[in-house]
Amino acid sequence: MAWDLFLWLISFFVSMALLAVVIYQLICLSDLEFDCINPYDSSSRINAVVIPEFIVQGTLCALYLVTWHWFMFLITAPVMYYHLRLYMKRQHFIDVTEIFRLLNGEKKHRMVKLAFYLLLFFSVVYRLVATAVISLFDDDDIRVPESRVF
Amino acid sequence: MTPMANEKTGASNFPGRPAASPFAAAPPTMTPFLSSAPVVGSEASGYTAFPPARFNVPSMSSPPSSYVPQDVGSYQNFPTSHFPPAQPVPPSRGTPVGQPGLSPSVLPSSGQQILPPPPVSFRPQPQIPLVPMGPPQNVPHTPPRGNVPHSSLEPSFPASRSTMQPYLQGYPNVQANPASQVPSARSPFFAQQGGYVPPPPVAAPMGVNPREQMQHPGAVPPVGPFPGLLEEFQSLSFGSVPGAIDPGLDSKALPRPLDGDIEPKSFIEKYPLNCHPRYLRLTTSAIPNSQSLFSRWHLPLGAVVHPLAEAPDGEEVPTVNFGSMGIIRCRRCRTYINAYVTFTDGGRKWSCNICAFLNDVPGEYFSYLDANGRRTDLDQRPELSRGSVEFVAPTEYMVRPPMPPLYFFLIDVSVSAVRSGMLEVVANTIRSCLDELPGYPRTQIGFLTFDSTLHFYNMKSSLTQPQMMVVSDLEDIFVPLPDDLLVNLSESRNVVDAFLGSLPSMFQDNVNVESAFGPALKAAFMVMNQLGGKLLIFQSGLPSLSIGRLRLRGDDHRVYGTDKENALRIPEDSFYKQMAADLTKYQIGVNVYAFSDKYTDIASLGTLAKYTGGQVYYFPSFKSTVHGERLRYELARDLTRETAWEAVMRIRCGKGGRVTNYHGHFMLRSTDLLALPAVDCDKAFAMQFSLEETLLTTQTIYFQVALLYTSSSGERRIRVHTAAAPVVADLGEMYRQADTGAIVSLLSRLAIEKTLTHKLEDARHSVQLRIVKALREYRNLHAVQHRLAARMIYPESLKFLPLYGLALCKSTPLRGGFADAQLDERCAAGFTMMTLPVGRLLKLLHPSLIRIDEYLEKGSVKADDFKNFSKMLPLSTESLDPRGLYIYDDGFRFIIWFSRMLSSAIAFNLLGVDLSGFPDLSQVILCERDNEMSRKLMGLLKRFRESDPSYYQLPQVVRQGEQPRESRLLLANLVEDQNGGTSGHVDWILQIHRQVQQSA
Repeated sequence: MAWDLFLWLISFFVSMALLAVVIYQLICLSDLEFDCINPYDSSSRINAVVIPEFIVQGTLCALYLVTWHWFMFLITAPVMYYHLRLYMKRQHFIDVTEIFRLLNGEKKHRMVKLAFYLLLFFSVVYRLVATAVISLFDDDDIRVPESRVF
Repeated sequence: MTPMANEKTGASNFPGRPAASPFAAAPPTMTPFLSSAPVVGSEASGYTAFPPARFNVPSMSSPPSSYVPQDVGSYQNFPTSHFPPAQPVPPSRGTPVGQPGLSPSVLPSSGQQILPPPPVSFRPQPQIPLVPMGPPQNVPHTPPRGNVPHSSLEPSFPASRSTMQPYLQGYPNVQANPASQVPSARSPFFAQQGGYVPPPPVAAPMGVNPREQMQHPGAVPPVGPFPGLLEEFQSLSFGSVPGAIDPGLDSKALPRPLDGDIEPKSFIEKYPLNCHPRYLRLTTSAIPNSQSLFSRWHLPLGAVVHPLAEAPDGEEVPTVNFGSMGIIRCRRCRTYINAYVTFTDGGRKWSCNICAFLNDVPGEYFSYLDANGRRTDLDQRPELSRGSVEFVAPTEYMVRPPMPPLYFFLIDVSVSAVRSGMLEVVANTIRSCLDELPGYPRTQIGFLTFDSTLHFYNMKSSLTQPQMMVVSDLEDIFVPLPDDLLVNLSESRNVVDAFLGSLPSMFQDNVNVESAFGPALKAAFMVMNQLGGKLLIFQSGLPSLSIGRLRLRGDDHRVYGTDKENALRIPEDSFYKQMAADLTKYQIGVNVYAFSDKYTDIASLGTLAKYTGGQVYYFPSFKSTVHGERLRYELARDLTRETAWEAVMRIRCGKGGRVTNYHGHFMLRSTDLLALPAVDCDKAFAMQFSLEETLLTTQTIYFQVALLYTSSSGERRIRVHTAAAPVVADLGEMYRQADTGAIVSLLSRLAIEKTLTHKLEDARHSVQLRIVKALREYRNLHAVQHRLAARMIYPESLKFLPLYGLALCKSTPLRGGFADAQLDERCAAGFTMMTLPVGRLLKLLHPSLIRIDEYLEKGSVKADDFKNFSKMLPLSTESLDPRGLYIYDDGFRFIIWFSRMLSSAIAFNLLGVDLSGFPDLSQVILCERDNEMSRKLMGLLKRFRESDPSYYQLPQVVRQGEQPRESRLLLANLVEDQNGGTSGHVDWILQIHRQVQQSA
C-alpha cells in the first residue's frame, strides 16, 4: 500500500508539473500574439521546455504501464503517441521563422493537451486521496468496505 | 457565331424597367404642377428646385417624409455613377435613409460603357436643362400614353423607376420596395421627374440586342436583385455544342496581354491623393462591405506593396522634416498624418482617417481652415497633398544610432569557384564598385573566404597588405581578431583594393573541393552581429563539411507525385532556418549567389535570403566567358542600388479590415510587423486582407504602408504610402475594379508557398480552381439574365487572368514534374518570384516575343523607328515563322531564335559564324560586330534592358531544330502551346469554361 501511495504522490507532482509547463507555453504564445514578447524569446522559451515535457510525460506513461494501471495508462497514452509522432516528424520545436503562421494551430494543440493533463490531474487527485484514506484507515486497522468514503 | 463579342448591356435592357415609363411624363400638360408652367424650362427648374416644388404641389397626398430624401439620394447618386472622371465625393456624405449600401463614390470601371454621361449632372443644378435626356420616341414599342392620369397608380412606375436607377447599377441592397414608393409617387412631380430621368441610350442597345428585349416584356415590375447591369463584360463564344472536339473557339480571338502590364489608372484618377500604383496595388480597388460578400470573392483580396519602387525623375517621394515638433501621428492607432485626414474645430483638431480618433493639432502645426474646411497651407505641406511622403525620423525612432551601410562578402574559393572564373569576376566587380557603394564615408566592408577552412582578412588601415588568418577548427568557430575584420572603406581603401586585386591569384591553384559553408556562415554572423548589414554569399558547390552540411537530393524521380515531394523544396537542415532567424534578429540581410553545374540545394541556401529580406541569384553552370556579364551587372546593381537598412514595415488598415497574411521575403517580428534587415528597390511584398467585422459601415477604407528604415546616408526615415479604396456592397463592382496584375502576383505567391507543403500538382490545381470559382461567381451574376449558356463570360478587368493562370502553371517553379525543370532551378525561380514586383512578374509569366529580322534589315537606327516593326506576338509556335528572327524577352534573359530558313547573311552578320556548319551555339557569345545589323541588334537589346534595370538579360542564341536546347530555352516557355502533357491556351480556356459551367 505504501508503494501505491508513493506512486500517486509522484503522479500528483508530475501532473502538476505538466500542467504548469503547458500553461507556461500557452502564456508564451499568447504573449507573442499580443506583442508583449518577441518571437525569438518566445520560441526559445517554449523550445527549452519541450523535451523535458516529453520525457516526463513519457516516463509517467511508462510507469503506469509497468505498474499495471490500465485506466491511467489509457489517459496518458494518446498524448505520448502525439509527442512521439511530433518527434519523429521533427516538428516538436517551434519554428521561429514561421511562428506567426503556425500560432493558432500551436495554441489549439496545446489547449487539447491541457485538457488531457487536467483529466489526468483530477484522476490522480482522486486516486491519491482514495489511496491515502485507505492507507490511513489501514493504519488504524479499520476496514473500509468497498464503497469508499467518496 | 462571332467568336468573341463585347456584350454591352445598358440599363435599357433591364427587365424590370417599365417600358412605359419614359412616357409617363410625356404629356406634361396633364400634371397640375406643370400645367401652370412653361414646358421645358419649368421642368428643369421644377426638378432642380425639387424640395420646394414638392411642397408647392397642392394635390399631393402627403407622402411620408422619409421617402423623399430617399428619392433625392438615389436620384443624385444615379448620375454620379455615370461619370467616369467624377471627382471624389466626400465619403462622409450622409447616405439617405433606407439606402444603406449606397456608396456615392462608386464609379464604373471603364469608360467604354455605352451610356454617355448624361448631362444631367451630378447634383441638381438649376441652370442645366434636362431636355436632352432620353427622347421618348426612341422606345419603339411603348405605347404612347398621353392620357396617363397622374392621380391613380400610374405614376408609381416612374417613381419606382427613378428609385430603381441606382439600383440597376448594382446595389442589390438598395432594394426599394416599389409598393412603398407609391405614396410618394403620387405627386405628379414625381411623374415628371421620372420622365426625365431615363438614361439616354434607350434605343441603341435595343437595336443591337433585340434578344434581350424579347426577354423582358415591357412593364414587369422589378423582382429580385439585378446587379451590375450597366456593366460591360466580355464573352467568348464556343461552338453550339460545348465540349465538342472542335469547339469552334478561335484562338486568335483570345485575349492576350500583348501590351504588358498596365497599371490601374482609373483608381488613381478617382483618388488623386492616393499613392502611385507602383507603390501599392490592391487586387481589387473596391473592398467588400460584408463577410458574405467577401466569401463570394474567390480571388485573393489583398495588396502588393513595393515600398521603395524606383520613381521616374520628377516624381520622387518628397521628404518632410518636422524638426522638433516630432512626427504627427494619431494618438490611438499611430497612423501617420496623411492627405486623407480631416481638420475640424477651426484647424485645432484632426480626425484620423483610419480609426476616426480626434487628435489635437500641435501648436506649431496649426493652420487656419478656409471656407471649404481645407487648411490654408495645404500646398506647402506634401504630407497633406501627396499619397507618398518620407518623414525624417527623430531619435525616438532609433534603438541605436543609425548603422552605417555594411557589406560583408562570404566567398567560396574552392576549386569549382576558381575554375568557373566566378572568383575573378566577383573580385573585379566588387573592386570596380568600391567607389559607388552607398553611404560614403561611413561604409564598412569585410571579407571572408572559405573552402575546407576559413580565411579571415585583417584589413586595418595601417597595413599595406591584408593579413590572412586561417581557421581550420570547424567545430568550434572563433573569430581570430576582435575587430579590423570589418573596416571603414574610406580609411582602408588601399588595403581593400590590394586584397581584391590579389584575391583571384591567391587561390588560382587551389584544389580543395570541400566547402565549409556552415561554419563560414556562423563566423560571418559573429563578425557582423555588432552592426548588422548586408551579407553577400557566393557559393559554388554543396556545403559539405561540419554543421550545415547538405546532401544530394532531388535526383530521385520516384519521389515526385508522392506526399514526400514537397520535402525537396524546403530546407533539409534546421540549421538554415535557425541561422536565418538569428541573422534577421541582428539586422543582417543575406543575398545568395549560387554558381554550380551540380546540385547546390538552393532550397536550403535560399532560406537564408527568404527570412532576411534578401534574394537569390542563381547562375547554373557558371562560366565567366558566358555568364560573366550578367554576374557583373547584377552584382554591381546589388551593391550600388539604394538600400534601406535595418527596416521594419507595417501596414495599417482602416477600421473593420485587417491584414492577415504576408507573402514575400521578410521575417515577421510581431503579428503585423515585417522585419527587413536590408531592403531595396527591387523587392515587393504581398499581403492579404480579411474583414474583422461582419459589416463595414464606412464608405471608404484606408491603407497605410509605413517603412521605417535607415538610409545609406545615416538618416532614420519613414516612408509612408497612403491609399483609399471605396467599400462596396456589390460583387459586380469588385470585379470591375479588379487588378489582374496584383491578383496574379498574389496567386503566384500563394501557389509557390503551396509547393512547399504540397505537391506541384496540387499547387497548380489550386490556381485553376481559384480562377474557375471566380469566373463561376461572375457568371452567376450575369448569365441568367443574358442567356449566355454557351458562352464564357468574364469581366473586362480580368480578361487576361486565365492566360496568366496558365502561364503561372507553366512557370518554372510550378511546371510539370521531375523532368521538366531541375530542382535548383525551380527553387531559385520560386524565391525570385516571391520578391518580384507586379510588372516584372507579369513580364516573366508572359514574356514578349518579337520578330526582329525586318527591323534589322530595313529599319533605321533611330530610337523610335523600332516601334513600327515591333509587335508582340502570341506565345505559340504558330507565331514563329521559319524565315524569321525572333527575340524572346522575359525580363531575365533574351533568347534569340534563328529560324532554319533565315538568310545566312543575317546569321553571319550577327554571330560571326556560319549556321550551316552547325556550330555549338551554346558557346556563341553575342557581341557587337562591325556591321550595321549587329550594331542595330545590340542597340535593340540595350533599349530592352533599359526598360528594366534590375536584372541583366543575358542573350542566348538558339537555332530552330537544335535539340534539346531549343525546347528547353524557348519551346517549353511558349505558354500557349501544348507541350509535355500541359494544355494549350485553347484547351485551357475550354477546361475552365467547362468547370465554370459545372454546377454553375
